[in-house]
Amino acid sequence: MAGILIPFLIFTPWLTAILVWFIGDKHEEGLHQFASAGAILSAILSLLLLSQIGDSTISFAKIGPLFGNLSFSTDALGIILACIANCIGSLTVIFSAEYMKHEKSLARYYSMVLLFIGAMSGLVLTANIFMIFFFWEITALCSYQLISFYNDDPNAVRGGLKALFITQFGGIGLMVAGLLIFGYTHSFEIGRFIQAAQGGEIPANVLGIIGFTLIIAATAKSAQFPFFTWLPDAMEAPTPVSALIHAATMVNAGVYLLCRFFPALEAVPGWKMTILILGLITILISSLMAIFATDLKRVLAYSTVSQLGYMFAAIGAGSVLACQFHLLSHAIFKALLFLCAGAIIHSCGTRDMYKMGGFFKKIPFISITFIIGSLALAGIPVLNGFWSKELILESIHSGTPIIIYILMLFSVILTALYTIRCVWLVFFGEPRSDLHVHDAPFLMALPLGILSLGTITSWLVFEPFSRSLSNSLPLYGIPKETLSELVSKIFGDPYTFLALGMVAIGILIWFLRNKLPLHNSITRKIKSISLNSFGFEAINNGVVNGINAASEAIRNIQTGSLNWNIFGMLIGLICILIALMIGGL
Amino acid sequence: MNTLVIIAIVSLIAIGFYCLIITRNILKIIVALQVLVKGAMIAMILAGKLTDQMELAQSMAITIIVADTIVAVIGLAMSIQLREKTGTCDIHSISKLKR
Repeated sequence: MAGILIPFLIFTPWLTAILVWFIGDKHEEGLHQFASAGAILSAILSLLLLSQIGDSTISFAKIGPLFGNLSFSTDALGIILACIANCIGSLTVIFSAEYMKHEKSLARYYSMVLLFIGAMSGLVLTANIFMIFFFWEITALCSYQLISFYNDDPNAVRGGLKALFITQFGGIGLMVAGLLIFGYTHSFEIGRFIQAAQGGEIPANVLGIIGFTLIIAATAKSAQFPFFTWLPDAMEAPTPVSALIHAATMVNAGVYLLCRFFPALEAVPGWKMTILILGLITILISSLMAIFATDLKRVLAYSTVSQLGYMFAAIGAGSVLACQFHLLSHAIFKALLFLCAGAIIHSCGTRDMYKMGGFFKKIPFISITFIIGSLALAGIPVLNGFWSKELILESIHSGTPIIIYILMLFSVILTALYTIRCVWLVFFGEPRSDLHVHDAPFLMALPLGILSLGTITSWLVFEPFSRSLSNSLPLYGIPKETLSELVSKIFGDPYTFLALGMVAIGILIWFLRNKLPLHNSITRKIKSISLNSFGFEAINNGVVNGINAASEAIRNIQTGSLNWNIFGMLIGLICILIALMIGGL
Repeated sequence: MNTLVIIAIVSLIAIGFYCLIITRNILKIIVALQVLVKGAMIAMILAGKLTDQMELAQSMAITIIVADTIVAVIGLAMSIQLREKTGTCDIHSISKLKR
């Protein structure tokens, strides 16, 4: 059964993408309907696949000794992520029908979104590192195409190129890791690699290099320190794309990668600690940047970066279950927040929060759904974000030095602060400009309603979630917990109330902002550093300018004359021959 | 015997390279490429003979023949275009990369 469902799950969106491309821009209504139908069909297939979770690996074709088999695994880690990608994908496609109405080049838009959905399913389901790399690059391509969708806007083009370059850097990391794994195990199968790593067949130093190159791949794809600068600039994409690719699915690919290789690499000295510290630095930096950002979508982007940091920290603390559970919660509530933001931006036409204000009375439905999402983001009980975040905090408290736990608690204050600031600036207070807004039409309201329902209830699936992960991934050491155990563990732990106290402090800081001594030289300094993204923008620009200068310098060897080029090649050939001769002697 | 073949290979490749370096005429470039590739093909066959993999060498040789025929065909087509557009066979007449 799974052997039929998996290829259908990948090829349904891809075939729809090709057909959508052929339908073309002239039949707009048909495009919306056809794309929605394809996306909904693949969502249904992914839900059917949930019943097929097991620990088997299905091989379709032997490509040969070089590339390994075209094999897919049916464990919960991949299937749950595929399910998230397809379900949220179908909701964003439905949302796009209203959001992208009367836009140009809709065929390009829909075919890229559908190509992405299929590639994401493939990326998380395959059991072959070579295939992971293949799908990984397709998702990067779609991300680039969709960020630069409004290709007459120079900011969008620049943002897309930046995302492409930085995630390609991660792709190189993945490629190096894959080649090293192939070199030492003579196979691209992940299961074989985990077996070899645990059996000590791979030398410890090589395993270390594999581990750290995978960290580079994951940090670049998941927008973690020091590669997080691409995600805020990716907000030039149409908002449904931001919800799907840059909040719910593609940025989780890095987290997925680390989880997938977790049992092979957890024994590498310093591997988990590096992930933990990278996650922690990311959380603190991006939360501070979110506090001072004025663009609604950028605030959400920074909060995505920081929530991905929480997932990294959970992996660093050794809890794959907490990480995956937060991934599920975050995908739902962040897609909700982005789609709400999309609905607001669609109706008022600006992204600047300081031009909004007082929207609660004008657009009650969007306001309520947005507030549900932001309560989950801040970690207020009993929404899904609360449970998963407490699970992460608990695993960090029990598995790492106390200083890291204290810093995490500090980040909880920051999260609550930027969330309440964002909600307050958009929905409450006096209107700061006379923007005309209207509530969401049906096709926008439907995904918002479904996602807010998911935000309120998705934690109830914790029991089957942990059971399926634990049963299908015996090597990962995932505990089997019931829902009542989770509830009693979280509410029985005094530290939960400490964390809730931190949330309250964060909210209080916002309401007492005029009475607290916040307007001093220190906060001003923090603000100016945050607005300059802690100097990372400058580093990026430096790298870009350096490469530009280097390529200008190298241009001189492009003579444009065939004779000189051949002469150069001949000299190179002779050098290689001499080197080989010296090596042979 | 092998020494003779190696001498043939080296001289074919050397002639090909020499011709590529000195000529600007696109027809001569195509001829030079053919000579060069034939040298490489004989080298491939020799390698197959030395390592006892003649069937592999044979298939490689056939692949090379096909590939370099395509190169020659496309090159000749380009030379016709070049002649029609510029009236000469000098490839420097269309060089735009030069600074």
